[in-house]
Amino acid sequence: MNMYNKKRMIPLALPALVLFLGVVVIPFAIGVVYSFTSWRGSYFAGGDHFWQSFVGIENYIKAFHTKKFIDSLVYTVKFTVVAVLVITFFSLFVSLLASRLKRGIASFYRTIFFLPNLLGGLALGYIWQFIFEIVYSKILFGPQGLISLPALCNMTQNNTKALFALVLLFTWQMVGYMMIIFTIGLNNIPSEMVEAARIDGASNGQVFLHITLPMLMPSFTIVLFLTLSKCFMLLDQNIALTDGNFGTRLLATQILRTTRDSAPPDYGLAQAQAVIFFILIAVVALIQVSITTKREVEI
Amino acid sequence: MIVQGQKRKDVWWVTHVLLGLLSIYTLVPLLLLFFNSFKSNNDIVTSPVAPPKVLDFSYLKNAIVQIHFFQAIGVTFIITACSLFLLVIISSLAAWVMVRLKSRFSSILYLSFAAAMLIPFQSLMYPLLNEFNFLGLKNIPGLIIMYCGFGMSMSVFLYHGFIKSVPQSLEEAATIDGANIFQMFFRVVFPLLKGTTVTVVILNGMWIWNDYLLPFLVIGNSDGVKTLTLELYFAKLISGQYGNPWELIFPAVLVTILPILITYVFLQKYIIAGVANGAVKG
Repeated sequence: MNMYNKKRMIPLALPALVLFLGVVVIPFAIGVVYSFTSWRGSYFAGGDHFWQSFVGIENYIKAFHTKKFIDSLVYTVKFTVVAVLVITFFSLFVSLLASRLKRGIASFYRTIFFLPNLLGGLALGYIWQFIFEIVYSKILFGPQGLISLPALCNMTQNNTKALFALVLLFTWQMVGYMMIIFTIGLNNIPSEMVEAARIDGASNGQVFLHITLPMLMPSFTIVLFLTLSKCFMLLDQNIALTDGNFGTRLLATQILRTTRDSAPPDYGLAQAQAVIFFILIAVVALIQVSITTKREVEI
Repeated sequence: MIVQGQKRKDVWWVTHVLLGLLSIYTLVPLLLLFFNSFKSNNDIVTSPVAPPKVLDFSYLKNAIVQIHFFQAIGVTFIITACSLFLLVIISSLAAWVMVRLKSRFSSILYLSFAAAMLIPFQSLMYPLLNEFNFLGLKNIPGLIIMYCGFGMSMSVFLYHGFIKSVPQSLEEAATIDGANIFQMFFRVVFPLLKGTTVTVVILNGMWIWNDYLLPFLVIGNSDGVKTLTLELYFAKLISGQYGNPWELIFPAVLVTILPILITYVFLQKYIIAGVANGAVKG
């Protein structure tokens, strides 16, 4: 006899189901439908109901002809590639360093590195805006500064420099988080494996290449998934640092600001961009997970 | 042997120097934030990295008044606490039901929860606001409901992963002892999920507390109460029209992050463990 009575159990899952449907599934479905209409936010152009204002794939064609959207798409991809590489490199580097130390000291460093991750993107963005505009541009790298480096001056006022400014800020914020994941992976590598390799005469480099890296593949899957999706969906830091000016809009900012770019606000176009955004994230995430999972080794 | 020991000591030093430098790099922005919260705009711009000459609390006081600090932190706390409470109860119950009822329906449900983690907020925010406006929920209770709905996917996913490893025998024993379904869940199952609950609370709490976009869309710049992040945003937006008033921004940022810093000092062990736990399952 099954002691779990269906009739009594299912109602317990209902609140979750209702919330999930009401907040995620239904708005998402409506959003996809509205992306094919000329939705204006509070009304539909061409009729009282959405079925009277269907425009087919016009919004999608318009999206790909909107320069701001294409620019933000390219900018997001560039930012994501650079940021994912930098964050992964530094978090791996820091976890390898800390893994040589005693547990107590290593966790002390981890506590420090994780700290920025707790704070809001907006608050951090404001602090870094000050650092880039005043500390970098005047004290450190300005004409009268410590070393004169024009490349590092006024980083928030130039499209390319702002990309690296955002990478600096986001790396600073994320390294601690990713370090935790790599550290778990490193601790899971059986020490007998490394010892056996050493007895066989493997050098440090060989141990790293043939044992540490392959054994860390599950951690890479998680780290890459998290950094990829977080970079793609980044919004707060982008708004706080440059507010999308100087052609620095990321996709999330672009979708939010599309409705302010025209009068009447073109919510249909924003919605089409949002659907493209979703498809992009889903495809990239699925490809990444399937590639890195294949590289994971079974113990 | 001596050469080996010397080499090891050198490596030890290099490790500490590198990690120490990176720690300083991590902490300097926060130190600047602290220094500049006690300085006038002029002092901040002319000597941005110098510690304040005197501890002048007037800027902090001003920021607290400007961003309605006590009201804002109260609202942010209520929103975060209510969302987390509901989220924990609702998602753990749902995950338990999904694991124990081994039906096709429950596995389809679980897969759709997991898949929804890939949906970015931007792709449904406008219809969501429309829907909640229609329901008369474009307010703080509505905000709490949205957070619950949005946190549901990941929370169900985390609980589901753990409950799978909880043996049924305890629940069988409780049924034989005459416990009803609620007693069975809250007295027997729920206490076992403590570790996952910590993870769910921390991962969701971090983004709900700091979230900017949802409160911006739901509350906006109305006269009513705003969350901390929203107050900060509008303080910067309104006063920043003519250059950046750093003497307001710095103390405002400081007071908004202070509650988190204090929490972190006391609970850092749980927070790191919670994040680590979530990462392994995710």
